[in-house]
Amino acid sequence: MSTTTWHADPNLLRAYVEGRLDAVLSASLERHVDACAHCRSQIGPLVEVPVLEEAWSGIRTGIESGRLPLLVRLAQRLGLPEPTGILLAATASLRLTWLTGGLVTLCFVTLASILADGAALWPFLLVAPLVPVLGVAVSYGPAEEPFEALTVTTPYGRARLIMIRTLAVLTLTLPAAALLGLTLPGPAWVAVAWLGPALAMIPLLLALASLTGPRLAASLLSLGWTGLVLFAARDLPSTWPVEGTQQVAYLTLALLAAAFLWVRSQRTQQIGVAL
Amino acid sequence: MGMEAPAEVEDAVLLRAAADGDLGAVRVLYERHAPWLTARLMRRCNDREVVVDVVQDTFLAMWQDAATWRSDGEVAGWLWGIAFRRMVSRLRQRKQTVLMPEWDGAATGLLPAAEDQVLLDVEYGDLGTALRRLSPEFRAVVQACVLDGLTTREASRLLGVRENTVKTRLHRAKAQLRGSLADLRLEGLT
Repeated sequence: MSTTTWHADPNLLRAYVEGRLDAVLSASLERHVDACAHCRSQIGPLVEVPVLEEAWSGIRTGIESGRLPLLVRLAQRLGLPEPTGILLAATASLRLTWLTGGLVTLCFVTLASILADGAALWPFLLVAPLVPVLGVAVSYGPAEEPFEALTVTTPYGRARLIMIRTLAVLTLTLPAAALLGLTLPGPAWVAVAWLGPALAMIPLLLALASLTGPRLAASLLSLGWTGLVLFAARDLPSTWPVEGTQQVAYLTLALLAAAFLWVRSQRTQQIGVAL
Repeated sequence: MGMEAPAEVEDAVLLRAAADGDLGAVRVLYERHAPWLTARLMRRCNDREVVVDVVQDTFLAMWQDAATWRSDGEVAGWLWGIAFRRMVSRLRQRKQTVLMPEWDGAATGLLPAAEDQVLLDVEYGDLGTALRRLSPEFRAVVQACVLDGLTTREASRLLGVRENTVKTRLHRAKAQLRGSLADLRLEGLT
């Protein structure tokens, strides 16, 4: 009640701005100022003008350069710094069509597997692990990359850029693919097991790409995986590509690839220098 | 802002104009709120650059989110919420020194004038005395969690201690406060 009639003494405000008040008094004053527009305005003349002008010029520039895209703001809300957000948005929005395509394909193969009543898991097993890995691969083609200049001039190390993009693609693809996996007929563990090769292919892709470039690496991996799945589909059990022994093999390959990347980065200071 | 624009245009109205891309409205809001916000941030962080950055980020965030502002609270409180959270997250990125306010008025040599005592009595009274009785760690937690309204997670980042430590300290501090407030009341009666 009385806060509306009582106003802080100018000396008290000055002492506050200059940091001469103790914490309890500061806190009391702040609680009052929260609710009192008059006292807020009295603080105005006490604050250094250069600080205010400096901040304002930044705000002005920010506003004049326009609103950031929704995705960037979303990334900022999640606590990512603005440059990371912009890079992510560049990746994500460019690949949105691609991702939609990937997920639609995934829906179809899931449907195919369901309709075949568990007899044919291979369409799903063939496509699902490839969606994330191809997602990562296509986020690097200069041919369709209007942000290539940004990628080249970015102050980040390549390695960090690659990790950010890979994580972004995985966050976008994995949940949807995992949900679809749950609707699969056959043993429940398949819904999770396909993540094994899917994740193992990421370091493999990055390692290969550092030698051959992302396009060729992705093609080689897709061919390899297709061959494996189709070979298994002929006369092995339908879950063969994701069973225990094979998982161990994928893991070994992934670790080898990671080790290769590490050694290479030690030598050249950059992972995926050819990406 | 000038004479013909009386300061009586409400914040909420200006905010709506800002959402429609009115730079002038943003400027009026800035002139109204940036000074006290800056002063308050300066009381918590002694790095001028950080404060400038945070003020800048806060008003840009205000402008970005102006359209989604629902007029169910004070613009001032909303801005402070954005600003302080930004500052705390800046601390995560760099190790910045934070000024935690001085708790011992005697050291500053400034005694509140009789009139200012009203403020204390109105808002705090016994609570101020009770707060001063707390140990420094406990007061820091109360300042962060209760007075500045941080979550325990943000407070743990600000104070550089684990989240559970913040929770325990806050819990104990509250118990101590309750205890000393009861004592003070009783002292007052006798």
